[in-house]
Amino acid sequence: MAPKKDAKAPAKKAEPAPAPAPAAAAAPEPAPAPAAPAIDLSAIKVEFSADQIEDYREAFGLFDRVGDNKVAFNQIADIMRALGQNPTNKEVTKLLGNPSADDMASKRVEFEGFLPMLQAIINSPNKAGFEDYVEGLRVFDKEGNGTVMGAELRIVLSTLGEKMTEAEIDALMTGQEDENGCVNYEAFVKHIMSV
Amino acid sequence: MDCHNEECSRPQEEEDIMDIPLDDPEANRAAAKIQAGFRGHMTRKKLKPEDKTEGEEVSITGDVFNRSVV
Repeated sequence: MAPKKDAKAPAKKAEPAPAPAPAAAAAPEPAPAPAAPAIDLSAIKVEFSADQIEDYREAFGLFDRVGDNKVAFNQIADIMRALGQNPTNKEVTKLLGNPSADDMASKRVEFEGFLPMLQAIINSPNKAGFEDYVEGLRVFDKEGNGTVMGAELRIVLSTLGEKMTEAEIDALMTGQEDENGCVNYEAFVKHIMSV
Repeated sequence: MDCHNEECSRPQEEEDIMDIPLDDPEANRAAAKIQAGFRGHMTRKKLKPEDKTEGEEVSITGDVFNRSVV
């Protein structure tokens, strides 16, 4: 489709974000690295307490559906989410060594292998906080009144970044749009961060 | 720009709603961050009420298939 105007207008969102978390998004790179080189997991120092490790082990065990004390590659992201993290799929793929689609479904990792991955995500400097989410959504606040159109948000979520499916978006947006189809995004972000 | 011809397969309202910066790496990066936060939230929300039930069916992208009623 021919863009009506330059797609540069929304770029301002990244700059004025004095977010508590390091504003990694503010660095204007020409293009994101396609598939980042795999990380050396053995170099990561795991710094969890014994209690934390037990909690993580328990969560890990819940995802083990085979009973071999391992989980599949394609479950790693969800285990991390269950443990309070918000990794991008790309971050997880990188930690797993950029596996193929087959590997994602078939390869498994044991708990000890999982821990450095979790540590890496926890150590990640890119973590987004409340302000980051609000700033990101504010880009689409055309009237500057604290709301975005639900329809716009749905399109963004399904066409940009790590595209979400319609089912995911429906689950996410349930109850968030007012009678005009608008979303108060600060309230939305608070809701997101409450779980 | 009315869509009079048949080549305009995209619904007009989508383009009218906004110009989506599909190729803007910053926009995509920001979107990915937001989506990561959303996905984290949804996974935790699913695991909460049923509290320690079976792990979910997940796809390669981390989509959860057997979603329960929200």
